[in-house]
Amino acid sequence: MSAANDHVDASVDSTAKDAAPSSGKPVSGRRSRLAMLFATPVGIAAITADLLVILLAVFGPIIWGTRAETNDFDNLDSGPISGHPFGTDKLGRDILARVLVAARLSIGLALSATLIGIVVGVLIGTMANLAGRRLSRVFSTFIGIAVAFPGLLLALFFAVIFGAGPTGAVLALGAAMAPGFARLTQTLSASVVGRDFVSAAKVLGVSRLRVLTRHVVPNIAEPLIVNATLAAGSCLLAFAGLSFLGLGVQLPSYDWGRMLAEGLNAIYTNPMAALGPALAIVLSGLAFNLTGELGAQLAGRRTTRGRRRQRGAADGSDDQRAPGAGGLPAAADTPSSDAVLVVRNLRVSVRTDGGTIEPVRGVDLTVRAGEAVGIVGESGSGKSLTALSIAGLTHEPLEVTADELWFDELDLRSAIGRRGRAQLGTSLSLVFQDPMSSLNPTMRVGDQLAEVATEHQHLSWKNARERAVSRLRDVRIAAPGRRARQLPHEWSGGMRQRAMIGMGLMGEPKLLIADEPTTALDVTVQQQVLELLESTKQQSGAALLLISHDLSVVSSVCDRVVVMYAGRIVEELPTADLEHARHPYTKALLRAVPSMDTPREEPLATIAGRPPDPASLPVGCPFAPRCPRADDRCRVEPALLPVAGRRALGLAACHHPHLDPVSESGVSIVDISKVGAPGIGETR
Amino acid sequence: MSSLEFRDVGVTFGFGPGALRAVDGVNLQVPDGTVVGLVGESGSGKSTLARAAVGLAPLTTGSITVDGTPIPRRGTRPVQMIFQDPVAALDPRMTIGASLGEALAVAGVRGRRDRGRQIGRLLEQVHLDPELAVRPPAALSGGQRQRVALARALAAEPKVMIADEITSALDVSVQGAVLNLIRELRRDLGLSMLFISHNLAVVRYVSDLIAVMYLGRIVEIAPTEQLINDPQHPYTRLLLSTAPRLGATLSAGRLPDGVRDVEPADPHDPPTGCSFHPRCPVGPAVDPGRTDCVTDDPFLSIDERPHRAACLYAGRHSLRKDPA
Repeated sequence: MSAANDHVDASVDSTAKDAAPSSGKPVSGRRSRLAMLFATPVGIAAITADLLVILLAVFGPIIWGTRAETNDFDNLDSGPISGHPFGTDKLGRDILARVLVAARLSIGLALSATLIGIVVGVLIGTMANLAGRRLSRVFSTFIGIAVAFPGLLLALFFAVIFGAGPTGAVLALGAAMAPGFARLTQTLSASVVGRDFVSAAKVLGVSRLRVLTRHVVPNIAEPLIVNATLAAGSCLLAFAGLSFLGLGVQLPSYDWGRMLAEGLNAIYTNPMAALGPALAIVLSGLAFNLTGELGAQLAGRRTTRGRRRQRGAADGSDDQRAPGAGGLPAAADTPSSDAVLVVRNLRVSVRTDGGTIEPVRGVDLTVRAGEAVGIVGESGSGKSLTALSIAGLTHEPLEVTADELWFDELDLRSAIGRRGRAQLGTSLSLVFQDPMSSLNPTMRVGDQLAEVATEHQHLSWKNARERAVSRLRDVRIAAPGRRARQLPHEWSGGMRQRAMIGMGLMGEPKLLIADEPTTALDVTVQQQVLELLESTKQQSGAALLLISHDLSVVSSVCDRVVVMYAGRIVEELPTADLEHARHPYTKALLRAVPSMDTPREEPLATIAGRPPDPASLPVGCPFAPRCPRADDRCRVEPALLPVAGRRALGLAACHHPHLDPVSESGVSIVDISKVGAPGIGETR
Repeated sequence: MSSLEFRDVGVTFGFGPGALRAVDGVNLQVPDGTVVGLVGESGSGKSTLARAAVGLAPLTTGSITVDGTPIPRRGTRPVQMIFQDPVAALDPRMTIGASLGEALAVAGVRGRRDRGRQIGRLLEQVHLDPELAVRPPAALSGGQRQRVALARALAAEPKVMIADEITSALDVSVQGAVLNLIRELRRDLGLSMLFISHNLAVVRYVSDLIAVMYLGRIVEIAPTEQLINDPQHPYTRLLLSTAPRLGATLSAGRLPDGVRDVEPADPHDPPTGCSFHPRCPVGPAVDPGRTDCVTDDPFLSIDERPHRAACLYAGRHSLRKDPA
């Protein structure tokens, strides 16, 4: 049974993936991106410069080799004349030819030094993370000391050891470059080595060398290559400098640095003798840097593209929105005038270069004074975005629209003035999942609470602090006076969540929005925080909007549950009615969660397939591809319809809801016209 | 498969007064062919214990053995582990097939064709389409990645498997399929497994035995049904009563006032005597007469108590407030 289920699951997964373009042809995608990048000015310049430099280095000595060695005794030490555009040197050799021929040696030496620097640096850098613990410490200490030495000093030092000459200079520059690369590698690889796949490889017994070559290096290669290219450019300069100082290439060999030194003596008689090699150094240095720049762009582009969601050809947005029946209070007879929050057709969209994605697609929600409403859904269902956009906390590129968005008689769709902000600041409070990041780590907890009152209620700091301490006592922080003077890191996770709730109590909250407030906490602490939320609600009379992925958390605190799937509300029902859920998704979700009473002998119920990609949503019911009850009708958008529950009215966006045995005949489906919800008459 | 044994295992991080005893004298056995669940709150040392078993955390004291042989610190370990985060579990630069192939190569499967066949077999074993072998991890969902991680661990033909919070990063609709797979593999392959989770309902579903860990020590261990139905340690009771249940109200898990808002203990500075005493609903914070909890070590006569519970009052008389 379970095997069969899983099989279905797997095959659905893979077919769904086949349809999605994201994994279709990654290779061609990369190629076209490369092509695009090469068409930019930087790309063209880099490619041309690289080609020139490479061709020169390879063919220069072959073509101009003899000419560079031929002495023209008629024109010793001459300026630019015909036949010698850059003039000649003391022995009458053509300087232009010599500049061109010197390219091979200059670039070759620079590249060898860079290569030595990289290889040594990468080895030391990775060893600092991969070797045994003691050895690692030795390596990192060594890197720390080596980095502190100025590169040129190291180079001079090595030049003395190895002697003046190209070998010594190459080794010296390589050695001078190694510490920098080692440090870079160490930092980059530390983040890779800490990841689980490296741990898994170690446990599997994969050799250290293989871990290094297969797992670590490929994952740090991009930034390393970019840095190496840039380093090659500066190495070229450094090498020219060493040769210029007489520490590099020795006669009779010559490179650009050496030529520059010779040419400089005759700068007044023949400026081209110095300018020629200088120009060559600058141009090839530029070529290296442009290549590095290109590499950096390529790497950057790849990572940003990776982060962005892949999208399909389908535009994702379907304008045929269900006529709003949501937000209907569970008991239809209550007047909606005591509503604290009214949301109609809330939509959140992101515009990307392939079209518009809508993570939230027409949410209707009403929260009445003192009511506790829970929103549940899996990741990607849009539940958190709904909460954030109600609180006005979404940023570019997210775009929020709604037909109605009222909080406490404040229209949140238009810009609210100063007074509106103050009202919002005191009557709407928020609690987020991560209590560490919602408090300012450099500010005393008490002051952070007091700030709310000084900002919005214009209390003096003294009064505000007093109120903060009393609110901390309300949220049951022991020794609140002393605790208020502490910084957030001195508080535990559960205490920080309580502080956030206390912060909400600084004003007179009408609505408390808590987005996964206990997900990061242990069960015992979760119980404390949930209890506090409940008692806070009772004492202050504030309404609560609790967002969670956990149905049991929501059911323990809330009066009403709203189930979201793929950016829409699929079911809304009283908590007490949860076990008689109507929508197949809610039903499946309830069955899939193991509880303390789940029979251990039977396989757990699973939901085949996976949630739809927000970029390519099915036209009809988003759950239809995974739903055992789906038929052709479900391809047309089902509306959020009222269905009769055992105790009260619930709403389900389903054409084939699970009904009580009595209502299976259809008798107890409530006559829509009696409900009086706006727009319901338009439904099919 | 075979049995995994922790004997007096201790793991200490750091030195001197700032040292943290993450695991402190743990004795635990995962018998052949059974799944042992390990529950505890964050900071209780359950993940450190798991990492010690595969050689990723150094032992300060004690020994960990598989069938009596100590676990090697290098080479293929007889114990394989699956991690919590499905995103970090697989190398993003390697295809699924390459990741599995690497594990197979280490396990001694030579030859391209042999390896290809084995990769297909492994993927089928975890109910994935063998075609996925050519895909990068980015093309897979979280649940699929966890199954690949499971397949990779299986490739090494381990004697014991460790699953560290493998479903806590997954959505509930996916969690069920992974848990079913674990049970199926255990049935078909006779897998011995240490299954770590903070979620008691999940642990209960897959485990034959459950061990409860608190501040680096195992405070209670018993067969699943016994532990759930008749918990002996007050901490186990606390975990059970605060575990969220559908339809249950919060008051069901409400604690006595004396310990209601007590903060979890600081592992750097564990309390004296029974380390749970400041939070214990039947301990000295609620019943001032029970001073022995503050002074006496509850681990001394642990073998004489039911469920090896590290509570001075376990089994002796009622755990309730009224003294027997």
